[in-house]
Amino acid sequence: MTDAAAVQAAPPPDDAADWQRLHPATLALAIVKLGPRSFQFLPAVAALGFTGNWGYIVPAILAFLLISLLAAWFQWLRFRFRVGDDEVVIESGVLSRQHRTIPFDRIQDVSIEQGLVARALGIARVGFETGAGGKENDASLDAVGLDAAQALRRTIRAHRSGEVAAPAAADTPDAAAASDDRLLFAMSPRQLLVAGLFNFSLAALAVVGAAMQFFDDLLPFDFNVFNPRDWIDLAGQYGLDQWVIAHRWIAGVGAGISLLFIGFASGIATMFFANWGFRLTREPRTLRRTRGLTTRTDVAVPVKRVQAAILITGWFRQRFGWHELRLQSLASDGEKERDHQVVPFARLDAIDPVLAEVAIARPGADAAWQQSHHIIALGGLVGALGATTGGLVVVAFGQALGWFGPVVGGLIAAASLFGVRFHRWTDLGEQVAIRRGFWKPKLTLLPHASVQSVDLKSDFIQRPLGLATLVFGVPGGSALATHEIPAIPLATARDLRDRILTARARA
Amino acid sequence: MTDTPAAHPTDPFDPEAVNAAEGLDPVDPAYAKVLRVATALNLIPLAIGASLFDWLLIRHIEGPYGLITALAWLVAITVIATFPSRRVSRWGYRIGDGQLRVARGWLFRTDTIVPFVRVQHIDVGQGPVERAFGLSHLIVHTSGTHNSTVTLPGLPADLAAAMRETIRRHIQTDFA
Repeated sequence: MTDAAAVQAAPPPDDAADWQRLHPATLALAIVKLGPRSFQFLPAVAALGFTGNWGYIVPAILAFLLISLLAAWFQWLRFRFRVGDDEVVIESGVLSRQHRTIPFDRIQDVSIEQGLVARALGIARVGFETGAGGKENDASLDAVGLDAAQALRRTIRAHRSGEVAAPAAADTPDAAAASDDRLLFAMSPRQLLVAGLFNFSLAALAVVGAAMQFFDDLLPFDFNVFNPRDWIDLAGQYGLDQWVIAHRWIAGVGAGISLLFIGFASGIATMFFANWGFRLTREPRTLRRTRGLTTRTDVAVPVKRVQAAILITGWFRQRFGWHELRLQSLASDGEKERDHQVVPFARLDAIDPVLAEVAIARPGADAAWQQSHHIIALGGLVGALGATTGGLVVVAFGQALGWFGPVVGGLIAAASLFGVRFHRWTDLGEQVAIRRGFWKPKLTLLPHASVQSVDLKSDFIQRPLGLATLVFGVPGGSALATHEIPAIPLATARDLRDRILTARARA
Repeated sequence: MTDTPAAHPTDPFDPEAVNAAEGLDPVDPAYAKVLRVATALNLIPLAIGASLFDWLLIRHIEGPYGLITALAWLVAITVIATFPSRRVSRWGYRIGDGQLRVARGWLFRTDTIVPFVRVQHIDVGQGPVERAFGLSHLIVHTSGTHNSTVTLPGLPADLAAAMRETIRRHIQTDFA
């Protein structure tokens, strides 16, 4: 692998020497990826088996492997990229060729990600963050040597900072002094352990349950390790059931303790796997985050692209002052998360410096919070009514299970009536703060300058009450979780809308 | 609710009231015809489907044959005749002060403001039905995830083009 940073001056466009291939280990990655993909082949194997053509199964699997490997090899052969003076050129595709040019100016930053296998092979996946919407618009190089990846990132960053250092410094005067990379936040194993304890979750049980369903049909023998009934049968054969009935209190306590253990263990494990070696550093133009135990990711959030900050906590961890900070940016964080988690678990005094880097301030203790109208509980109440009537209808048909309906309905009604009190907002002059939720309190800090459009909504319920809902169009984030201030007086809503839009015009 | 003088009609069900009270311009009345054609194209196949269902199934199970057909056509004709003009009267827009304002709906009313400087790009579109009535629609794209496109239908074609030019000039002066 040649050094990607070794860029010659004005290379001729078709100089074969300049083009680079991906690391040959790409083929090894392709073999690893074959594992999950061979599941697609199961129906074919089953079909061959049912029709009695057992002899064809092995050749068919071999042919499948061979074709997959050949395809991977062809793709590797036809994929090449070139790092030019001020652009990255990528050519790919076996049958339909794709030629993509990405100017350095448009690359916000370069992310580097290493999975478990990739780390063993010393390669990394390089993603170019261009700020273009949609996953498919961002280019990536699946496997290059780790040092080449870092050299590539250095090249692009050097190009960018050399060109725009002056304006960037003018934009953030307080951050400009620190031209070197500064560590903003890191997590020690001890902090991870504390965070993991608060991360108590019984989601692992659901995974076991799903595995139980899945393996029930698959395992050839009659004993399914994931099915508790099989274990109970086994226990019954040894007279264990008699013992359990005789000592049911001990058994109950044991079950409770093991549930607690599973919850804490899975919480700690997910925290350790995701956030091992967590480091958040401030670099000239970006916040860079590296983390992960098996899959190490290296993600950069350009400071100027940050649209909003979201502080999340929980009803219990709030009492100990623990919060999580997410930043909403134009790009999304990986495939699952929309917002970038920049501080997974910290007290507010550790979060404030990070917020200062993106020029967002938390409302002080004296902030004048205003409440949304209680009418927003109506949705929950209608749902509760539906659950109650549904349950009662089932009861009327003689199903005792239907009593769940009124119980759940009552809980929903109580929760929505109680949760209404936590819908608050305040205008801090340069930004709006929106707070909501009791179980998982969430504080959104939205700078006026991020607002692209404002909706003022009212409907046949809010209008007679003189209320309106403000919905803000903000780049990035999830389309499902829009930023809104529900059910506030119409005059206040109009006033706030005007202030936000004029503040933007001044900027 | 309003801060404008009571020169406007105050009957909340008066179609003029909603827009006038909020200082909005109405869209072209010809848009009602476009909506009527579009509604008809949607509902008439549904009514035909309901009639077929009635004819093929209800008749054979000796149900109340004709009831569904009559109901379907009644609803379709009522909706086609009355709804479009009501919906059109709820659309309103205002262009000026460096911002585009689009309001729509009554039961669920949404009043959107997009500052010109936040516009990413602008489309002026014209469907075949709109072309027949000399209308266009204006689509404004923003970079927000919510409201990434704001559509204003029912504009005379030349007005839509003029609005596009206005917004375009603002975008240019902003970058200059």
